[in-house]
Amino acid sequence: MSDALLEQIAAGDSRAFGQWVAGCEQSLRASLRKFASSVDTEAVLQEALLRVWQVAPRFQLDGRPDALLRFAQVAARNVALSEMRRLGSKPPAEELPEVAVAFASPDPLLRAAVVECKDKLPGKPRLALEQRLESAGGDDDHVLAERVNMKLNTFLQNFTRARKLLAECLKQRGVDLDAELSP
Amino acid sequence: MTPEEELLVEQVVTAHRQRRGDGSIASSPAWHDLDEAGRLVAFDETARQRRLEAALDSDGFSSTVRALLGRIQLAE
Repeated sequence: MSDALLEQIAAGDSRAFGQWVAGCEQSLRASLRKFASSVDTEAVLQEALLRVWQVAPRFQLDGRPDALLRFAQVAARNVALSEMRRLGSKPPAEELPEVAVAFASPDPLLRAAVVECKDKLPGKPRLALEQRLESAGGDDDHVLAERVNMKLNTFLQNFTRARKLLAECLKQRGVDLDAELSP
Repeated sequence: MTPEEELLVEQVVTAHRQRRGDGSIASSPAWHDLDEAGRLVAFDETARQRRLEAALDSDGFSSTVRALLGRIQLAE
């Protein structure tokens, strides 16, 4: 249950917050899919999670499971709506249902398959993938490309190739990422 | 999808986002250049990529989680 980490998060333990986000990221992201054509959901998700972190010290449990996760889902939706108003984007289709959020645990079998497939990537695609992994969102792609002596477009093409090769390799090992990603 | 659109999608897939002047997290400039279909492709590719990143990370953290923790540490 995701609220087990709440006490540590409220006390300012950012690592506990990381563990909590790791458990709910996939589900929260899926809840934003209906906004994907109207707002940049990566920016929305990061902004919403920062707000959760800021509110956590004052957060009150309501007696029902996954209270912080449910709060995060509302925060993400509100950030998305606010961003839509700012951009003047058209609203998402009304008929799309709300996605139920849930806390997930790491999958050791998926990890083993991904590690094995990553090790089989050819040089440049692997280099591009590793740059993004090591940077972890900290650097612009121009910086990453320069670091490995590639032009930006070449870097991006190599990253695309890495993702496609990884997906093919995983499929051969029976890992269907789309099924894995179902909320 | 054209090669140009693929490059835009790839730029959106990264977890790197700039801050706006008011401190909020800005959209990727490439996201604005995508049409509706391209934005949905970028969303799905990002979701797949984060799952792979988390699987490859010793702590199970995706680049979104790492980017968040980086922002929190900078603010402390």
